[in-house]
Amino acid sequence: MKLRRSMLFLPGSKAAMLSTAFVYKPDCVMFDLEDAVSLREKDSARLMVFHILRTDAYKGIETVVRINPLNTPYGLKDLEAAIRAGADAVRLPKTDCANDIHELDAEVARIEMECGCPIGRTKLLAAIESASGVINAVSIATASKRMIGIALAGFDYVIDMQSQRGDGAKPELFYARCAVLHAARAAGIDAFDVVYSDINDDAGFLKEVELIRHLGFNGKSLIHPRQIELLHNAYAPTEKEVSYSRRVIEAAAKAEKEGVGVIALDGKMIDAPIVSQAQRVLQRAEASGIRR
Amino acid sequence: MPAELRFHTVHASESPQESKQIEQLLTESDLGWDSRVETFVVCRKGAALVACAGIDRNVVKCVAISPAFRGTSLSLQLGGELLKVAMERGHFHLFLYTKPDNTVFFRGWGFYPLVEVRDKVALMENSPIAIRRYCSDLRALRKHGGKIGCIVMNANPFTLGHRYLADVAAESCDWLHVFIVREEASMFSYAERYELASQGLSHIKNITVHHGSEYIVSRATFPSYFLKGKCTVDQCFTAIDLLLFREHIAPALEITYRYVGTEPACPVTSRYNKDMKHWLETADSRSPSIEVVVVPRITLRGSPISASEVRRLLQNKSLQEIKKLVPETTMRQLISRFGDQRRETEMTDGDDH
Amino acid sequence: MRIITEAVAGSLESSDLLVKVSPSRDKTLEIYVTSDVIEQFGTQIRHVVDDTLKRLAVTDGLIVIEDKGALDYAIRARVQTAVLRGAACKELNWEQLS
Repeated sequence: MKLRRSMLFLPGSKAAMLSTAFVYKPDCVMFDLEDAVSLREKDSARLMVFHILRTDAYKGIETVVRINPLNTPYGLKDLEAAIRAGADAVRLPKTDCANDIHELDAEVARIEMECGCPIGRTKLLAAIESASGVINAVSIATASKRMIGIALAGFDYVIDMQSQRGDGAKPELFYARCAVLHAARAAGIDAFDVVYSDINDDAGFLKEVELIRHLGFNGKSLIHPRQIELLHNAYAPTEKEVSYSRRVIEAAAKAEKEGVGVIALDGKMIDAPIVSQAQRVLQRAEASGIRR
Repeated sequence: MPAELRFHTVHASESPQESKQIEQLLTESDLGWDSRVETFVVCRKGAALVACAGIDRNVVKCVAISPAFRGTSLSLQLGGELLKVAMERGHFHLFLYTKPDNTVFFRGWGFYPLVEVRDKVALMENSPIAIRRYCSDLRALRKHGGKIGCIVMNANPFTLGHRYLADVAAESCDWLHVFIVREEASMFSYAERYELASQGLSHIKNITVHHGSEYIVSRATFPSYFLKGKCTVDQCFTAIDLLLFREHIAPALEITYRYVGTEPACPVTSRYNKDMKHWLETADSRSPSIEVVVVPRITLRGSPISASEVRRLLQNKSLQEIKKLVPETTMRQLISRFGDQRRETEMTDGDDH
Repeated sequence: MRIITEAVAGSLESSDLLVKVSPSRDKTLEIYVTSDVIEQFGTQIRHVVDDTLKRLAVTDGLIVIEDKGALDYAIRARVQTAVLRGAACKELNWEQLS
């Protein structure tokens, strides 16, 4: 069970950020070759990301490369760079339907084969940025075995919806969040919420984090490292949650040891989902301690 | 971490509003608005203009950063953006004017000092080796020993005046180096001017006719020379051009004498000649003095022969008059270029009949 | 590979480098490196630059580098980008780039 709370965006062309951002210890880092890179820097950013991935700088952090769409002159080259450098996953922007993923999947398989890396090693993430994408979320989420998550991208989506981004508690993303999340859960993959772009508004950010955590998102895309700790803390369990989860795990261990099929705690029956939930709580606690 | 600073390009003539803000920023930094700067790279934080850098073709100037942002990474971003904008316009080799105190700052932009007028102005270029390579190319053409002279001429077009000056100089020197101004800002193209000068000087045995360069009377080293109709000469700029000659070019060719014709007609050139004595002979410099020899112009019926007179006559379509002012080689070119057009034919009727 | 046109890659910002390439006049390969940390890392920077150029089989050109304390990965990436731009090379040969 991989913890994916924070996915930090790093512009592929910015050496200073690429060279240092690992110190903030996000769960995942997303090297951006798309929107954060101007057209004249696409080639340069691609090679920067290729080479940083070949170092050990981000060891222990899941590495994701956001490529340009495959119908641009950059997409395939970006994909080559990501796979050949051994990125853990590729994030496809502007995913509108399952076919986008099928196409990507085929190219990934071809490149993996050509460069002699194990077929299936490269995972996929789909970013959903339109009404069609939201409608097709289920088929997108299940379009490939490589899929590990879907991410909602709010900026283009609200434009497509003829709406606009409000602060963290406004309802403009309500349906999209629910749709994406359901698709992810049904497919057994992770769901990531949108970026919160006002990096100086901690209160608004935390309000939004509270909302998406309650909805059940695994995490959120982030554009500034200072949001990482805020997010991790908000996702950290309370003392009470931790002690309860410990007891659940102990009870499960005891039941297994004794060969008892049914787990009971405080006279209540505990089933498998509760045990996984407890594992997740302890994992988050181990990663970031108790919520402050 | 996201870019709160936004960079963009401003065309001074198209954006009076932004130009005003730029001018204000320049004023805050004790810099004047320079109407020659066509393009500015500016940086905004929110609505506020916090930095600007201007480019006039391949010359960078008018760089100003709001005090609160000095010493931050903004400066280097600005330098990088500027370079990219210049590149997109086809300018790879850049020059930069600044106060001598700021040369250290612009080292951070990849600019290296070329020449400096103490306490006034410094010229830098964005290469650590360009001037060195240029001078080493020149050194390969050096003639050793004795008296080595030099003339820098625009030759727009080459006249008997130019030939006379070169004859006098070559006569009194062991070797004469002639540079033709390279900048394309004249009635005659550089190729044409170079060709006519080479032909017109081919009778001299102890001479090398060199191609001009960005380091000799160019827009970069001597901007006011190329300002049409304006005769105000900024003394600092003549100093830059002349010190560059004295400290880089002259040593490479072991030049010890520079020859000029008297110049009554053009105030810019006239002023330049006057400044020449100061900057080449007496001014403080790390390089030895170069003696300036002023040669009176030859005259025709009392008036000096000059290229500007030839151009004036061309404007008046008086090809016949020009014949007495230019060598045969130049005349042939003028006839082939201006003589076969109908209007001119009428003008030169007298010649044919 | 030969540099046939002037090109630039990278930036002047901290941890980065600016690479300028231009055609050689005499079919030689000339490399100039200036760096904020030339005393400490000059040899290492030069080693990475040379190795990167060698893998790309760059035979001639003028390479001028303004280093701002870049790590090796950035030096490789920026040198490669400048060379590919200067050689007008659109195809990526990943073996050479690795």
